[in-house]
Amino acid sequence: MKTRSSLLFQSLTGTGLTAWVVIAVFPFFWMFLISFRAPVDAFSSTPTFFAPMSLENFRHIWIEDGFWRFAINTTIVTVATIAISLTIGCLAGYALARYRGSLGFWLLVAALVFRALPHVVLLTAYKPAFYELGIWSRYETLIVVLVAINQPFTIWMLRAFFISIPRELDEAALIDGCSRWKAFRLVIVPVMWPGVITAGLFSFLLAYNDFLIASQLMNGEMTTMTASLGNYMGQNKSMERLMHGIAGAVSVTIPIILLIFIFQRQIVAGMTAGAVKG
Amino acid sequence: MKTRSFLAFVAPSVASMLILIALPLVGVAYLSLHQSRVKTELVELTTEIPLVGGLTRKQTRVVPQSVLDEDGMPIQIWEYVGGRNLAKAGEFKGIAKAIGNPRGGSEEKGYLSRLYRDITNFEFWAALEFTLLYTFLTTPAILIVGLALALAVNSVSKRLRGTLVFATLLPMIVTPVVSSLAIYWLFMDNAIITNFIEYLGFGKFYFLADKITIRTLIILYGVWFAAPFAFIILYAGLQTMPRDPLESAMIDGANKWQRLRYVIIPHLGPLLTVITLIHVMDAYRVFEPILVFNADVFANSVQYLTYFALAFQDNIHKAAAYSILTIVGVIILLIPVLRKSFREYRIKT
Repeated sequence: MKTRSSLLFQSLTGTGLTAWVVIAVFPFFWMFLISFRAPVDAFSSTPTFFAPMSLENFRHIWIEDGFWRFAINTTIVTVATIAISLTIGCLAGYALARYRGSLGFWLLVAALVFRALPHVVLLTAYKPAFYELGIWSRYETLIVVLVAINQPFTIWMLRAFFISIPRELDEAALIDGCSRWKAFRLVIVPVMWPGVITAGLFSFLLAYNDFLIASQLMNGEMTTMTASLGNYMGQNKSMERLMHGIAGAVSVTIPIILLIFIFQRQIVAGMTAGAVKG
Repeated sequence: MKTRSFLAFVAPSVASMLILIALPLVGVAYLSLHQSRVKTELVELTTEIPLVGGLTRKQTRVVPQSVLDEDGMPIQIWEYVGGRNLAKAGEFKGIAKAIGNPRGGSEEKGYLSRLYRDITNFEFWAALEFTLLYTFLTTPAILIVGLALALAVNSVSKRLRGTLVFATLLPMIVTPVVSSLAIYWLFMDNAIITNFIEYLGFGKFYFLADKITIRTLIILYGVWFAAPFAFIILYAGLQTMPRDPLESAMIDGANKWQRLRYVIIPHLGPLLTVITLIHVMDAYRVFEPILVFNADVFANSVQYLTYFALAFQDNIHKAAAYSILTIVGVIILLIPVLRKSFREYRIKT
């Protein structure tokens, strides 16, 4: 029964969705477009869609400003953070899913409070302490910090995944005489990968997107890509420098877009698992 | 699972949180109760001041100089100051005075407007004001936008949905510093939107140099950034919606609005609560748009305020005092969540 009002409703939905897609995508689309331009064309008084394009901004930031070095730092830090975070997070998430005592509840509540803390609170303590200990601006320092602030979220999410793995599976192994550890290794590890991949994606996003901590704990050549964008902010920068910053921002965005392309399903699953079950 | 093996399994994770989250919190409390300065002493410094024709005159002055230890590092003096840092950061005396008799500016007449002016003159309270404004305006907005998007995406063909979800994920997942910059580059002077508005004949807008426009921009950014999160969760909720109640509502003659109001929203109720809780926690930490838009004069947040004291003023004690006040805020915000989970836990055991 197609009435006039349902036709109107459909066209309204269509318009609304189109408007949303434009709003969601346009800022990034425009950033990509102007990153290939000279400042005059990027911020011209009459905006144009066609202007001379070149890779000059990218060449400058990657080679002359040494962005490649920050890309290597980011790779080292995020890979190590994900690996450690998932290893210790899986153990804790599995234990939280199987343990019935009250300790588990209190650990989850503490993790919830920790997850809500603004990171700058922790940074305030890290700054003098790491300086005093002489572990300032080192990969290891940033990695362990990111692992720790990742943990609350990771254990909540992995716990939700481990709960969805039937208890009978590892209990059968226990009855057959396996230790907890052996049951985990032989029975749970082979089936946990979908959940681990999703949790890994979120660990990646947390480590990769972090600006606050990396910008304060790492200096000079040790900083990450995201934190290095701070060098291009501010109003008293020249137009050329601004354009290099845009090229840098585009470079930071490309891996994220690839990630969404490949893992869209897992990202959606992870968000809903965390929210619906947590 | 036995308690012993539970403890063994969670040990690494708990250790990392104890050392790098719990211990720093103790450290922050310690820092906020102390004040440090470089130890100085007065030394006589003799210099030769050139006069006319190569003649010099000796001059002796007494100047303060930092005392160095054996390694040549300046010695720091730490002293316990109790709640002084906290009182200074929170401006409690000033607040009490303002409540008693607010002075306000030249324009404000009423008690409340004078009080508002007085309170927002204090750094911390100004930051808290915008943080709360941001939190309480974006929360209902992301619920409405997220729900509208979820309903709309749910009504289009399956083939389109993937693309729509992809586009929607972008604002949420792209690095927040980058997405703030992407918005900034649309609204700065001579940027495309600023120029387009001028071209349409509305005159020149300085979005980033006016209190109203910059606040609006940051709040809209917050909605743009967080609505996708609400969307994804509500969209997943709609997939689990049983068909029967909807169909019986249709048979009973409920129109679209009634079905939404009496069937769909009650089904999504728990999810709306979860989204609100998570978003309130995240909104309280708003940081990147304030940093990128350089907005702290007009719209500050508690996290940016602390960051500023730490990074630019290099004052760890002030930053620690702000941190403690921030933590108090977090705990107040979390009380409903904690009470809810505690009640559920009591019921279970």
